[in-house]
Amino acid sequence: MTDVRVPEADPFDAAAQERDGRPPSPAAAAPGGLGLAGWLKWAWRQLTSMRIALVLLFLLAVGSVPGSILPQQGTDAAGVQQYYTSHPGLAPWLNHLGLFNVFAAPWFAAIYLLLFASLVGCVVPRTFRLVGSARSLPPRAPRHLTRLPHSAEYTVALGPQDAVQVAERALASHGFRLRRPADGGGSPDAGEPWVSAEKGYLREVGNLLFHLALLGVLVSVALGGLFGYKADRLLVQGSTFADTASQLDELYPGRLVSDADLGPFTITLNQFEASYIASGPQRGQPSSFDAQISYTARPGGPVGSYRLEVNRPLSVDGAKVYLIGHGYAPVFRVTDARGQVVYNAPTPFISGSSGNFLSEGVVKVPDAQPQQLGFTGIFVPTAVDVGGVLQSAFPAADNPVVSMIAYAGNLGMNSGPSQSVYQLDTAGMRRLTTSPQVLQVGQSLKLPGGQGTLTFTGYVPWVSLTITHDPGQIPALVCGIAALGGLLLSFMVRRRRVFVRARADSGGGSTVRVGGLTRTDASGGFEAEFASLADELRSAQRAAAAGQAAPQPGSEPGTEPDSEPDSGHSQHEGK
Amino acid sequence: MPINLTLGQVSNDFMIAALLIYSLSVLAFAGDFAFGRPRRAQATAVVRQAKDRAAAMATVGSASVSVGSVSVGSASAGGASVGGASVGGTSVGGASRAGGAASGTGAGVPETASGRDSMPALALPPLRAIRQAGRWVQAAMALAAVAVTAHTTAVVTRGFAVHRAPWGNMYEFVTALTCFAAIFFLFVMIRYRAWALGVFVMGAVVLTLGLAETLIYTAAGDLVPALQSYWLDIHVTAMTVATGIFFVSAVLGCVYLAVDRYDRRVAAGKAAPGNGIVRRLPSIEQLDRLTYRTVVFGFPVWTFGVIAGAIWADQAWGRYWGWDPVETWAFITWVLYAAFLHARATAGWRGRRAQYIQLLGFASLMFNILVVQVFIAGLHSYAGVS
Repeated sequence: MTDVRVPEADPFDAAAQERDGRPPSPAAAAPGGLGLAGWLKWAWRQLTSMRIALVLLFLLAVGSVPGSILPQQGTDAAGVQQYYTSHPGLAPWLNHLGLFNVFAAPWFAAIYLLLFASLVGCVVPRTFRLVGSARSLPPRAPRHLTRLPHSAEYTVALGPQDAVQVAERALASHGFRLRRPADGGGSPDAGEPWVSAEKGYLREVGNLLFHLALLGVLVSVALGGLFGYKADRLLVQGSTFADTASQLDELYPGRLVSDADLGPFTITLNQFEASYIASGPQRGQPSSFDAQISYTARPGGPVGSYRLEVNRPLSVDGAKVYLIGHGYAPVFRVTDARGQVVYNAPTPFISGSSGNFLSEGVVKVPDAQPQQLGFTGIFVPTAVDVGGVLQSAFPAADNPVVSMIAYAGNLGMNSGPSQSVYQLDTAGMRRLTTSPQVLQVGQSLKLPGGQGTLTFTGYVPWVSLTITHDPGQIPALVCGIAALGGLLLSFMVRRRRVFVRARADSGGGSTVRVGGLTRTDASGGFEAEFASLADELRSAQRAAAAGQAAPQPGSEPGTEPDSEPDSGHSQHEGK
Repeated sequence: MPINLTLGQVSNDFMIAALLIYSLSVLAFAGDFAFGRPRRAQATAVVRQAKDRAAAMATVGSASVSVGSVSVGSASAGGASVGGASVGGTSVGGASRAGGAASGTGAGVPETASGRDSMPALALPPLRAIRQAGRWVQAAMALAAVAVTAHTTAVVTRGFAVHRAPWGNMYEFVTALTCFAAIFFLFVMIRYRAWALGVFVMGAVVLTLGLAETLIYTAAGDLVPALQSYWLDIHVTAMTVATGIFFVSAVLGCVYLAVDRYDRRVAAGKAAPGNGIVRRLPSIEQLDRLTYRTVVFGFPVWTFGVIAGAIWADQAWGRYWGWDPVETWAFITWVLYAAFLHARATAGWRGRRAQYIQLLGFASLMFNILVVQVFIAGLHSYAGVS
């Protein structure tokens, strides 16, 4: 007799089993000669197979690698430029392949879109199957329970009906769904009552939730890419800017964002302070950054103040403002040949790679007469002379100096391509000073020939701010948490079935067999659960038997002691 | 608050002590291999039956196992222990190759009320299981417990010395991850009675910790402002814990590949069966299951760490995901471990290939820590290695 059978279409751990255990359909085996519909069907089956999903997962991992090794347009545009200069032959080819912008490249999108198509093709049918199995009852108890992976057999001094009833109650109290012979399929094995119990549907729910949430993350990212924006702005202490396209240094709008969508808030940097570790091996390492700002959510609105710090962004008008970097802006006053002050402003200098905020910058004085003036220079916060070379010993401004080179001539600002404010085009200019002139605060550089004076009057800090607006942020977070929840459910919950059969013994008691089934590799530990469950069933039945032997009023009324001894015996010839 | 240098020194001393005691425990685990009382000798038939039964799971209907009710009893006890569970008082390490439970079954099976009863064995308490595993294992476990305590003390005092979670640079990260790996593995070893694996995992811990002490030791110090956030506690803790768990998975994966290779050589007639070391190790089925369970433990932690990192990145840098090199590699690691979980359920990819994927995942994790964070410029350049 081989009727010990797990029912067909067993939904245990549907993911893998059903995906690759699917019988080869004619379409899958021989796509030729089936026409377009056959081909499409074949392609869809291939795409939704676990094997292809695995390959796509690999491609996704491998495809990400160049994005971390080569400089990327989005995060390191300067690095891309540098790569072009150092590898002039290779770089254009890499660019053709989209390797400088991997995560926006069409081939990368193709990989993850195929992967998500595969995921949908797998998850949707499984959702329907889950709903179906939640509606239907657990399968009938197999006849030979001792052949199941987990089994127990024992005798109790209780009739089969009672024994199964006690087991039912115990199983139900553990949250199992039950099926009895009366629930369907008649009662072909009369005389051997049984109960089937199943538990752990949440496993599949969690699995589906995880995969659907991943889809949700993708949608959220797309939402941010379409409706969000990112902008950068360098702000000198004491100055103000508004979040409009013209006042931002850089603006990276989403595909469906227009300039009008930007928040009209304004921000003023009142004060910025950076402190550094002053001694020990970590000398020079920053210990805190602190920017005092005031802001208005809309022009003319109430003024709020905020302490902007790293890890402490400002939320205003649907956007967030982050403190990203900082530097020094030396203040210069320039008078021209006529003695008029033609320039008097803080000028942001950008710190280079030489460390300790040794910063470079330029001063352009287009209004100087008779000739335009220009200066290139460095700002050194804590100047030390190392073998005739000016270096910075500490990032804080303990001994600030500037070192300037002066030019006169045509700045070239009225013609040609737009210029960077951090670079001086010296093509139309004449150098006025042979060597760089070092100035301390308050000192002046007199230009030869009475062309004017440059005075280093002081310095103020500047900060660089990043402004972002991402409507996909909250949905992405919700989906991420849902994915994690689904993952935990699917890993921690175990789908398992327990069957109990009782057969009458000659002595008036019955032999009880308990069988258990699960996918052992799922999360493990069912052996222990089954062992304690079987133990509990036996104790409950023995307690009930003891109660029957010494009947108390009201306990277990109306139970028949022995029912049809051994009528099912012939069915068990395997024994 | 200033760095507490005295506590930092205490931490260093405990770390060295832990390293020494770990080494002794590895010696004791090795001693169990060399001189330990063999924990086997029972019928291989029991294992055979158990394996048949396991195989019959998928096709219960067609299995033609026919056993009497008495022998079913012993098979169910044997099957349970081979399944890798904490029942029957048998050790996975010992039970595997030769099955049976010479040392444990007697104590593990509860007394039966009637001759016909055959109940699955209830779990044996851990301490009794250790006691039954022999003197070498007892010594090794005691040493390992002391070493883990010292290691934990070292990590915790370091945390108090610097007033923050003690995983802010590469050296601290490695000492903490090996600590989590050792704690997690002790738990795994006790839960699954996998004494035979101690020498490998604890050996790897000793090696890693020793390399960290000699190559990348960094004195207790402060962090840059970008790291001064409670998200350091959340994100980096999750990543450290997950790395510790994956560390254990990777060592188990290597043991799997070694046993698998030996088994295939035996099958091909290239090696003599009955290698003394391999015989004491769990079977490849058990190693496969054990690896899977550790990854199943680590994967949600890693996922949580990535999500927490995204939240922190949003707070600190203004975007939750920006394909920074370290983010990219965390993503690659996540994808590879996800591929492992799927591969284990895909025909043709189970077993060896799945293990290769898992090891590839760990390799990408190590690449991220050792190469990307140190040599590739990005926002995550906090390694503090010079």
